[in-house]
Amino acid sequence: MARMLALFCAAALLSACQLPNPYRPPPQQQPVPGGTPSLPSPTPPVQIPPPVESQPAPPEVPPPQPPRSYELGAAARSLVEQAHAQAAAGNYAVAASSIERALRIEPNNPLLWIELGQVRQSEANYVQAENLARKGLSLASGDPRTQASAWRLIAQALQGRGRGPEASEAHARADALAPH
Amino acid sequence: MARSRRTRRLRRILLVGALIAILADALLIVYLDRIVTPQFEGRRWTLPAQVYAQPLELYAGLALPADALEQELARLHYVPVDALTRPGTYHRSGSRIDVATRRVQFAEEIREAGTISVITGAGVIQRLRDSSGNEVPLFRLDPLLIGSIFPIHGEDRIVVSPAEVPLLLPAALKVVEDRKFDTHHGVDPEAIMRAAWVNLRAGSIEQGGSTLTQQLVRSYFLDDRQTLWRKIKEALMAIILEARFDKADLMNAYINEIYLGQDGERAIHGFGLASRFYFGKPLDELELHEIALLVAIVRGPSYYDPRLHPERARARRDLVLRQLAHFHVITDEVAQRASARALGVTTRVTAGYYPAYLDFVRRTLRRDYREEDLTEAGLKVFTSLDPRVQALGEQALVDELTRLDRQRKTRDGAQLEGAIVVTAPQSGDVIAVIGGREVGFDGFNRALDAHRSIGSLAKPMVYLAALETGRYNAATIVMDEPIEVKLAGGQVWKPENFTQESYGPVPLTRAFADSLNLATVHVGLDVGVKRIAATFQRLGLERMPELNPALILGSLDLAPIEVAQLFNSLANGGFRTPLRAVRTVIAADGTALKAFPLQVTPVADSATVYQLNRMLTKVTQRGTGRAVYSRLSPDIVVAGKTGTSSEFRDSWFAGFTGSHLAIVWVGYDDNRPTGLTGAAGALSVWANLMQRLPLTSWDEPVPESLRETWIEYQTGLETRPTCSEDVVSIVVPREAVLPARHGCVEDKSGDFTTRAKQWLEGIIH
Repeated sequence: MARMLALFCAAALLSACQLPNPYRPPPQQQPVPGGTPSLPSPTPPVQIPPPVESQPAPPEVPPPQPPRSYELGAAARSLVEQAHAQAAAGNYAVAASSIERALRIEPNNPLLWIELGQVRQSEANYVQAENLARKGLSLASGDPRTQASAWRLIAQALQGRGRGPEASEAHARADALAPH
Repeated sequence: MARSRRTRRLRRILLVGALIAILADALLIVYLDRIVTPQFEGRRWTLPAQVYAQPLELYAGLALPADALEQELARLHYVPVDALTRPGTYHRSGSRIDVATRRVQFAEEIREAGTISVITGAGVIQRLRDSSGNEVPLFRLDPLLIGSIFPIHGEDRIVVSPAEVPLLLPAALKVVEDRKFDTHHGVDPEAIMRAAWVNLRAGSIEQGGSTLTQQLVRSYFLDDRQTLWRKIKEALMAIILEARFDKADLMNAYINEIYLGQDGERAIHGFGLASRFYFGKPLDELELHEIALLVAIVRGPSYYDPRLHPERARARRDLVLRQLAHFHVITDEVAQRASARALGVTTRVTAGYYPAYLDFVRRTLRRDYREEDLTEAGLKVFTSLDPRVQALGEQALVDELTRLDRQRKTRDGAQLEGAIVVTAPQSGDVIAVIGGREVGFDGFNRALDAHRSIGSLAKPMVYLAALETGRYNAATIVMDEPIEVKLAGGQVWKPENFTQESYGPVPLTRAFADSLNLATVHVGLDVGVKRIAATFQRLGLERMPELNPALILGSLDLAPIEVAQLFNSLANGGFRTPLRAVRTVIAADGTALKAFPLQVTPVADSATVYQLNRMLTKVTQRGTGRAVYSRLSPDIVVAGKTGTSSEFRDSWFAGFTGSHLAIVWVGYDDNRPTGLTGAAGALSVWANLMQRLPLTSWDEPVPESLRETWIEYQTGLETRPTCSEDVVSIVVPREAVLPARHGCVEDKSGDFTTRAKQWLEGIIH
């Protein structure tokens, strides 16, 4: 039994250590002539010949990636700085719209979603603070530091709603990812 | 005796009559004064809300070659010059563009006029510098004014203050319309006599004798009937106004009041709006020949319509210029140079009129505002419209529908119709709405109001619900075999595949990519119609679909905008964001009234949605949507789904890249069959639009709870790209164990560690 447990732990550890694979577009086949939009009725799916791999196949085992670390571009950074000043002056609506501007430039940057969540947290809009943090978290794959700051915001938002136990849990997850 | 009594009585009657007449006259003047003066004093024109597109953000790294930037500046009617002189001009030298920007009202702030230098290179912006040479991280251009929300009676205007009026305009108005304006008391008897003489000789109305003040009165207080009584009232009111107000006030009122053109239901009032309407730029940027044209139009906005009757308008403009020279307002030489210029009016297309988008904006605002607030209070509305995407979408729809119509001539000449909704998925911004192929026509808005059967566009909701049960992953084998479903009414539903064949056991990814109906019905019934209906609702459908097994194959009528909301939640990784056209509304004085901030709600596990989205990319790489790559570069990863309703009545395509989601519908208004699948119709519109946009791949990071692997497309066996034929990449939950192609990957289902782990998990649960 103990051996089994040890084995299990080893397996669990192994899988936990595995880093996420970056997604790369798979090699493309040439568009099948029967599928061009100019034809009135397309060829039924099965009649399409299997694609020929014309490009070198991707590596069979993707090389392990070092943990990534999200950063802001210069334009987004300047907007975030602006937002911080606006929020410090208590002007949360304008601060939020500055971060929204930044999000239009870098919509997949988790840091900006967390920033927007922090503005909502400051104005005690805890539901949006948590939701925005979760959106940030969903984009922070492979970046433990960013994940940790998302969890900290989730913890604060839960605290704000008086959900103490869940907040402590979220804090613990943050600390496990990146201790203070 | 009797006679003298009668005379006395007559005299008395006459006296009383005269007294009454004088009294009546006085009363009339007092009465008119009561009407005219307060109304004119508290002069508040009804100001329709002005609607703006989103401003273009410039920053280092933005993919925007110098030529494209020049096009954007042209859209905002910035004028190229040799040296920057005044706001609204720019100078290009090679890859560097210097812009003298206007004073701009944004939602949050007013930015004063200034200059910015944009240095481009290799197709992107390299640097931005301000007037003192300092580098700036970002700079936004003016938001394009795209229209206004004018009331039913149709008066639209932009009010200008005297400071915004070029000096030439009042001078020209006086020369052409009322030479004695500075000295008369409201009416000019000499001008009336002169006009009467001219008209008598000509036998028709050739010349008007009205002063500017009379014209103002007529437009402001009276209707257009040509009666004597109205003429008297007009003259009296003009005299009252002149007595009560000074000339500068009256001139400014005239400039803002007068009617200068018609745009469908919309009446163009005042020179501020006319300047926008004819030239696309603010009044204070007009040049002499443009001012002369507006002054020419005053006399007959439809007769001298420069778009419909350019020669007539030009002849009158040149007459105005000659008169200006004759009365020494300008020199002969300047007049001649201005006469040599073209009219310079914009075409409707560049004037930027987007009725379908404005309709969406209006509907959003009507939830929060009374009609009068929108049409009278001078609100400024900042929207998400991206004019470039909107214009490209209009072009794509018109081009493709024209091509498809040519291919399939109908006996009665019926034309295909279509609609497009484009969003930025993460922000929920609606950036383009096209309601039909007559893009400039404010008619039936199909993007919002055409509720049509969605067909296979329902499948993503079915497969998401399946993945969410935890019993399915992208490699799960499902049965594509005939099925009969007993419906509530006792009928039997026998769905069929598009090919009317069945394909037996297939992996889920293939069932989805090839849009196999039988396999989908098996999956859907297993998951349960109720759960699928709930998935529709969770992703953003505002009503519960009918609980009918046929929902699995999309027997549900939705408008393109509703489909956009559903797919937006997928493109946004399982977060629902209410689609919004309006970002902010501010009052006439610049104070913020209402904001529609970005809000997100998690509605599905983001890793599960990621699995589904990867399956959507297989639709375009392998399945029914692969024709997108006849137009797009194979390096771009796009996710999408085709939809075809029964008997080919509706052709749909819904798809997204890293930056844009677009929903396209194509069909006939009378719901007759089109003979088009989603791939043959809507997809071509979608791909036509996307190929013109700067595309970014859909490439979100793989969630940590998933692993990436490969399966054989036909069998679903796990393999490696070099090991089997016909391999597709998929993601599955990290703990999922897949049956493997022998000799290609270790068969983990037999692997000791995995078995041990599964066994242990069994104990723990």
